Amino acid sequence: MTLFFIQRSVWALLLWPSLLTVSMPLDCKEEQGSLSGCTSISQEKLLDRVIHHAELIYRVSEESCSLFEEMFLPFPLQLQSSQAGYACITKALPMPSSKSEIQQISDKWLLHSVLMLVQSWIEPLVYLQTTMDRYDHAPDMLLNKTKWVSDKLISLEQGVVVLIKKMLDEGMLATTYSEQGLFQSDVQPEMLESVMRDYTLLSCFKKDAHKMETFLKLLKCRQTDKYNCP
Amino acid sequence: MMKKFREVILLLLLLSFVPHAEGTRYSLPGKPALTRCRSPEKETFTCWWEPGSDGGLPTTYALYYRKENSETVYECPDYHTAGKNSCFFNKNDTSIWVNYNITVVASNALGSTFSDPVDIDVVYIGEGDVEGEVVLLLIIQPDVKPNPPEKVAVTVMEDKGWPFLRVSWEPPHKADTRSGWITLIYELRVKLEGENEWEMHLAGQQKMFNIFSLRSGGRYLVQVRCKPDHGFWSEWSSASHIKVPDYFHRERSVWILITVFFAFIFLIVSWCIHINSHSLKHCILPPVPGPKIRGFDKQLLKNGKSEDIFSALVVSDFPPTSSSNYEDLLVEYLEVYIPEEQELILEESKDLHDGCLKPKGSTFDSDSGRGSCDSHTLLMDKCGEAKDDGRQTDQDGSQTGSEAQRQQAAWEQEALTYAHEDMISPDMSSGRVKTWPSVFSPLPQYSLSPLSQPSSLETAKQHCLSDSLFPPSSLSSYLTQPGQSTKEALRSSCSDFCSSNKQPLLLHPQPDARHQLQARSDVSISSISHKEAPAGLQLPTVRSTEYVEVHTVNEEDMVLLHPVPVGHSHGKGCLQTHQGEDYSKVNGVDKNNVLLLQREVMEEQVDMCPCENKDANGATESYCTSSAQKSIPCIHTALPVQEEKAVNGYVDTATMFPLPIH
Repeated sequence: MTLFFIQRSVWALLLWPSLLTVSMPLDCKEEQGSLSGCTSISQEKLLDRVIHHAELIYRVSEESCSLFEEMFLPFPLQLQSSQAGYACITKALPMPSSKSEIQQISDKWLLHSVLMLVQSWIEPLVYLQTTMDRYDHAPDMLLNKTKWVSDKLISLEQGVVVLIKKMLDEGMLATTYSEQGLFQSDVQPEMLESVMRDYTLLSCFKKDAHKMETFLKLLKCRQTDKYNCP
Repeated sequence: MMKKFREVILLLLLLSFVPHAEGTRYSLPGKPALTRCRSPEKETFTCWWEPGSDGGLPTTYALYYRKENSETVYECPDYHTAGKNSCFFNKNDTSIWVNYNITVVASNALGSTFSDPVDIDVVYIGEGDVEGEVVLLLIIQPDVKPNPPEKVAVTVMEDKGWPFLRVSWEPPHKADTRSGWITLIYELRVKLEGENEWEMHLAGQQKMFNIFSLRSGGRYLVQVRCKPDHGFWSEWSSASHIKVPDYFHRERSVWILITVFFAFIFLIVSWCIHINSHSLKHCILPPVPGPKIRGFDKQLLKNGKSEDIFSALVVSDFPPTSSSNYEDLLVEYLEVYIPEEQELILEESKDLHDGCLKPKGSTFDSDSGRGSCDSHTLLMDKCGEAKDDGRQTDQDGSQTGSEAQRQQAAWEQEALTYAHEDMISPDMSSGRVKTWPSVFSPLPQYSLSPLSQPSSLETAKQHCLSDSLFPPSSLSSYLTQPGQSTKEALRSSCSDFCSSNKQPLLLHPQPDARHQLQARSDVSISSISHKEAPAGLQLPTVRSTEYVEVHTVNEEDMVLLHPVPVGHSHGKGCLQTHQGEDYSKVNGVDKNNVLLLQREVMEEQVDMCPCENKDANGATESYCTSSAQKSIPCIHTALPVQEEKAVNGYVDTATMFPLPIH
């Protein structure tokens, strides 16, 4: 497990420059006057990078979740987690839930779904950072990972925005940090509650990260081979 | 009363047994439990449950599930596909990223028993941890356990003589990895047949892997398994057998070469040591020196006879007695008896060509007849010079060859002038005779003293030149002082002879030497004139000197001499070239150990010159005997002493003196 995590962290570090390129404005349509300097990335390469990015995010989130689970959740609580009633925040989002459903979704919808997911998770992760700092004995690795995930998600959002612009020719705006107080509460919750809530957050994020990864992969499959892909 | 109690107790007992006896009484079925759910490809999944006690009655099981965010309860669509106590959800019924709330219900005739509900997410379904009845709820960990990879193929490939295994496989056919729906990573393991430990290799997402570092000729087993990125490992595929062919280990060949090389070197070194074993032994283990007493015999010592040992130690020749020949110890030297006057001659005759004779003035004799035109001392002086010149010319080599020949010819001509029978230059004659073999053909080769020709030629030339250069005053001095040293007389006479004799030699002059001769003749005229005045002093020098050769030594100890034959015989006055004159007879040896020679004239031409052979110094005996030839009124007597000495010069001393001659 440790080796696996080390591998993934190495991957993450290696992809850091690629993330920078993803985050940079890669579309040069606005600057019509300039002939030099602006060489935009191709759609396939961009999609590949986005997919790889999503994969990494998912892996790191999975590791964080398991770490958190070992650290903070006793076994009985693990049993109760599913019944705790903490629903995922993205429950309300309409998402395809099966391969057959995904087959019926268009590329546009897939991309938009991904974007919705990404945008909806940026803020909760920031919140997660703050709450985890309050923990006693929180391992640095866990904190670093969650921090890393939170940062990379922003980069992923930028990449998806560019991708949408390229593939769908739609202009979109990146999300601005809303001042939603959904996760801000003045009252300090109980430790156990906080732990449970954080754990739910992490596991839900893990699921959605996997969703993002899958959607993007399917999208890529559709780009290369339209008729055999779901 | 007691009986009633017993009956009640019995009844009670019976009643108590009744429930036990009613083991077969039916009851509700036990609570089933969902054990695990599996999804091989994230599109379908199967759940298995464990039934509880059945309650004695036939029990049926049903599975109901409810998706999150929905209150609709569905029943398991398929109970049979996956076996007993299982429920199979097909694609249409599978939703991912959605929590399923599954409940198993066991029911029999009496009633139903519900299991605890389990939330599962298909993506994450895994094996449930069932810990007996302690666990109230089953948390089914997410587990997608795919099927093992299929079509595992192992082949042996070659890489520059080093074989390796190439393992290739395919994902399970249900898993949709192509679309990216599910991402699988693979792992394989290898082991030799008969061993227990597997060698694991993580292959990642690739479907091919190379295994290196194989044992030659070994049989290997290969297995592959896969795992989704968020799931559990599948089961190992069935083992594939492969045999690696035998190959020659290149590393071993290198080691073999190294071994052979070192063995070779070792052999060479050992051979060298063996060759030099003896010297090495001496080097390492120097031999202990044994006793080295002369005459000491180890064997005697071993024998133990001390008397013999010590007697052996006595060396016979110690102290050294006089038996040894002292003479043997001394360096041998030649005993040569040389009268003081003759020393020079001896040395000269012997080592004329070796260098200048040292004793220049030591044995000078005032006798005029000594030597030839020149005295010994002068001759020696000149000799040194001439020798040097001669040597130089010798060293010059062929450059002066022609010159040497010319000079040789000139010398030969001059030699002819020295026809004076009495005036025989000892030094030159002996040498000359030898040195002019080419010109004077009848000249027999001397075997007495081999002298280098050119050197003697040179000396003769010098001699002659020196003589010719002498001013006539010398002659006058000679004339006026007859008692003067023979040297001068000889010199002058020699010069006269030189010059005078040159003229008759004009007949046979070498074209090159003509002018020389003429020059000399011019000079000689005056001298000759001088000479003619003192009639009384008919110097034997007027006569041409002749070089006499020692012909033989007859049995009477007489040295037979032959005059050097001269091709011409004419001249003024007493200039005669006598041919055929020979001093062939040794008259005797006087008390002074002087060999007296007899001159025999063989020629017809006899000069009637009333020449007296008078020695200024002393009485001379002159014999003019003619055996078979005409008598010669003109007696040319050789100067007895000197002449003889001169003759001695011509003659090998070995023959001259019987004494030293052994």
